[in-house]
Amino acid sequence: MAETLCLSDSDRSSSSDQSVPSRSNNRSLRIAEKERKKNEAEDSFVLALRYFSEVEAGTPVAGNDELDRNLAVVEKVAFSKGLSPEAISVLLEFAMSLRMGTSPCVRVLKCLIPASVVAQQAVVRAVVWLNVSKIPISTQVLFIKWVLTVFDLIDAKDQLRAIYGFIFSFITEENLCPYICHLLYLLTRKENVHLYRVRKLLELQSKLGRQPFLMHLLSLYKVFCPELVTLSIPSRIRSGFKNYISPWKSALAAVQKSNGQQVSSSISAAFTIKEKSISRKRKHCHLDLPALSSVLNKEPQSEQTSRRKMVPLVHLSSFAQMLKDMHRIELPAQMGSLLGSSLALQYLDCVQEESALLRLNFWLGCALHEEFLFCRQTSEEALQFLNNLLSAQHFLQEGFSSSDAFLYKFLNVWDGSLLRPQILGLLSNIPVIPSTQIGRLLFEPLTQLFFTSSMFFKCGLMECLNNMLLKWLTWHSVYALEDDLDISLNSHTSINITLSGFKDSVMELVHFVGRLASLGLQLEGCNTLLLSFILDFYETVCDTFLKFGLPLVVMPPPGVFYPALLATDPVSVDRLAYIMHRYKLNLTSAKSQEKQTEPQQAFHISRHTFRQFNHYLVFMVNCLWNCRMFHANTDMHVREELLHKSNVPQYWTRFDFIHHPAFTGYAVDFHQKCWPGKKDVDVNSIKQSKPWSWYLEYLFNQGFDGLKDFVHSSISRQVTAGDELQDSQQR
Amino acid sequence: MRTPHNGAVVQRRSKTRSYRQSYRSCLGTASRLGLTPALTARRLNASRRAAKPQNDKVNPEHLALLVKAEWQLSYVTPLYQFRHTQLRSYSRQLAAFIVAEKQQGLAVEVSELHNSYRVSLSVVQGLTESEDDAETVLIQIHSKPMFARQDEPQRSVWSGWLTCVHGSPEYLRSLPKDFTCLPLFGSRGPEYLSRVVKSWFQKTFDCCFGSLEINHTSLQWFAALWTDCHSQSHIQHLRMLWTIPAAPPLQITYTVDHQDAWDLWNSVRKGPTAAVAEDAASIDLEEVTGFLQALKSHFYRHFRLDLSAGTLQQVSTAVGSAKSSGRIKMSNSRHVIATLTLLTECALLKMPI
Repeated sequence: MAETLCLSDSDRSSSSDQSVPSRSNNRSLRIAEKERKKNEAEDSFVLALRYFSEVEAGTPVAGNDELDRNLAVVEKVAFSKGLSPEAISVLLEFAMSLRMGTSPCVRVLKCLIPASVVAQQAVVRAVVWLNVSKIPISTQVLFIKWVLTVFDLIDAKDQLRAIYGFIFSFITEENLCPYICHLLYLLTRKENVHLYRVRKLLELQSKLGRQPFLMHLLSLYKVFCPELVTLSIPSRIRSGFKNYISPWKSALAAVQKSNGQQVSSSISAAFTIKEKSISRKRKHCHLDLPALSSVLNKEPQSEQTSRRKMVPLVHLSSFAQMLKDMHRIELPAQMGSLLGSSLALQYLDCVQEESALLRLNFWLGCALHEEFLFCRQTSEEALQFLNNLLSAQHFLQEGFSSSDAFLYKFLNVWDGSLLRPQILGLLSNIPVIPSTQIGRLLFEPLTQLFFTSSMFFKCGLMECLNNMLLKWLTWHSVYALEDDLDISLNSHTSINITLSGFKDSVMELVHFVGRLASLGLQLEGCNTLLLSFILDFYETVCDTFLKFGLPLVVMPPPGVFYPALLATDPVSVDRLAYIMHRYKLNLTSAKSQEKQTEPQQAFHISRHTFRQFNHYLVFMVNCLWNCRMFHANTDMHVREELLHKSNVPQYWTRFDFIHHPAFTGYAVDFHQKCWPGKKDVDVNSIKQSKPWSWYLEYLFNQGFDGLKDFVHSSISRQVTAGDELQDSQQR
Repeated sequence: MRTPHNGAVVQRRSKTRSYRQSYRSCLGTASRLGLTPALTARRLNASRRAAKPQNDKVNPEHLALLVKAEWQLSYVTPLYQFRHTQLRSYSRQLAAFIVAEKQQGLAVEVSELHNSYRVSLSVVQGLTESEDDAETVLIQIHSKPMFARQDEPQRSVWSGWLTCVHGSPEYLRSLPKDFTCLPLFGSRGPEYLSRVVKSWFQKTFDCCFGSLEINHTSLQWFAALWTDCHSQSHIQHLRMLWTIPAAPPLQITYTVDHQDAWDLWNSVRKGPTAAVAEDAASIDLEEVTGFLQALKSHFYRHFRLDLSAGTLQQVSTAVGSAKSSGRIKMSNSRHVIATLTLLTECALLKMPI
């Protein structure tokens, strides 16, 4: 220790000399400094303790700087880290012996925060001091309160019980009586109950009236020795001793928390603690996951099955163990408890039992309805509960039917902000809804929410709907393969949902998002963030055939296509190009497959889709490549005179790769790199054949892979773009 | 009596299908929804049978326990593996459970507690309407005060019942046979005992309890149903408690004389009045709303205050009283069935799936 101290000192002096200390040197310096400070503090604390243990009786208090300093040191340590058992013993002895009078005694008592435990010996000695020295009553009360506060931390109680009679004698002191009664209540055993004590208490009661603290102690006596206490005690005395204000409680809790201990100290008897937890429970009683416990009530029929011994789920601790006992696992008494354990979820994943699932759904549905349907504010428990549920659903990769049923109701009363991430997360797990129901259950409430909420909600909802679509398509791709496209259901269910039914639902969803997106972009002024979420969605939509094997292609509405194409940021244009590229691949492969299959099979993508795709493609190519933006037969009908009036020179080139607002920056940069000497920038010079291909190369190297794919697949540079389009237009 | 499609809400999945939302089963769920305008638009029956006095088949002793007391209502999800044959053993378990719960908060082991609670679960024979209904279960807890004398007898400190009267057959039949549906729970006694009993049921039969409020429409139904009873048993008066959302909040007690109420009721009844064709009489929602509308307009004529702006909080007659907070009192044993039928329907509407 001394060595490090020296070292740090020398370090410090050297660092003040050196103007540029190296980094490592600096760091070791700081550590050493910290160490030194710590040691200093510890030393001063040890010195303070020594002072308190050795100080002579009768040392004056007034103007005693040494005492002040030492007290300050002790208080600092006590409130930050708590005091060791030895320190408590020393300080308690100092205080209760009144070696320096009463004023330091109170101050010391108030800072007796134990870090771990309190030695019983010290408490016993202090109790003895109560009788010997002339401690003022208020200080005596303070001391007993302290004992009650730290009662659970006293390392043993046997010696305290041994002086039960001694403690009992203080009961006649009127101010001390309530606290002494409480202490006695905590100490009493059957052998402590004697007739003379009962008499004393009754005598006190006749003097003080039916005080609750006396009644409590008497009731405990009556429990132990009913024959001694004939007094009838009302069956319902207010439970618990009054929870006296204790100056140590909060400090003690803080110290224990920082020390990472879970020792519960409590002035209040068990009653009050229980009361509290119940009242808290009453508020959110449905949100506590039930404990994983085995069935209480064994069925009589289980006797016959007892040959096969069942293993309760709660006894399993590892996955390997679960696999071993897979065939004889017993479900817990409350299925809700499965949500809290990952092992149980694994089991649930493969259990085939209908009633088990129904039980879980009843519990979950009830909890959701009771706690959230009319919930108006977020609470920690609610958040925890939903996050648990979400992680369980994520684990199982699907939703629970009761949470779906809840959501259909909840969407109608939701304000769109309460627990938003969680609710949207649950929503994205909703299974396919038939197209006849989807409007009422999903679209109506969501439309209202979408148009009355902030931009962030709009983005969140887009993401959620994208996830929902992804899940639907994934289910299809997994199970359609399995069932070989024959997905009409067996006769159990009353409605057969066929492939076309599924397609209808998906189409409804995509059209719905298209409507929301078009209007949302208008409302938010084509916000780039929102556009990005919308393009995410269309990245899923454009690949339905190739990625998920669903013969369905839906084009984005003009309200999404044009804002993306004319966006001011290059990323959106690039993503649109990628989406168009994927659409093309999907459509061409769908068409070639359609030719191969039998004509009567319902494998058909409507002409309208092809037409719309071609239309978009022509416009896009004309706009970006051919500089023929306001060509006839497009959606954009702007009168010639109006365009002339605008005084934009060469307006038809304004959205090509060079002049498009998203790319002008790149064009200028390219121009400077290409012709570094040129003063005046004429980006039109890029138009020439060679620089044009260099420019494209330059753009592709900026990471615009979407554009690259688009140009390679839709524009053949030798042939004119028009011919290429003819190619894709043929049906 | 017509029953809407609310029964289809619990659609059984066939055992062969995995519980997972496979493509098949997710469509299975979808088909469940296909049947379900019920899911979000489940409503009370729009028409019901008029209350006719019966109960000759119900044990009068049990019946006496049900009437003349006010019960706090809850709904209960179906009980898993509940057996009416095991009630004796359930009684013992519940008693032990109560003692264990009581002891949790005590600093010392109290041996006396062990025998301080006597619990009895029993079947109320005959308190059912259709063959799908499970028999009603009555729960009684007897105890003596903690510091009572040795010879003091045990008193009934808490009682409750679980019942299902005329539950929707579609719903009941859709449940697997492991489940017993007793959706309506009434309790009376200290709150902590209700809590303990509920938590025992939850732990033992994996069910859930939720509070059951009696909404505006149901209260209107009670007003009409009980008025309709006047021909058989004197209702004394029809008293309604309304709250009007004004500042300061206004509470109105509206009492109608029995004869006036009866005359008004007969005037809104369509077709043959209850007095003529007593047996086949059914009451339509239209008649109920008509009755209430007439009462409101009468009030308006006198006080210039439109009660439609407020909510009905409480309805009471000599036959029974119901409060929106979910408290019910059945004062006349002859009309218990009708009251419980309506309440069972309310409870089934609260089922999460």
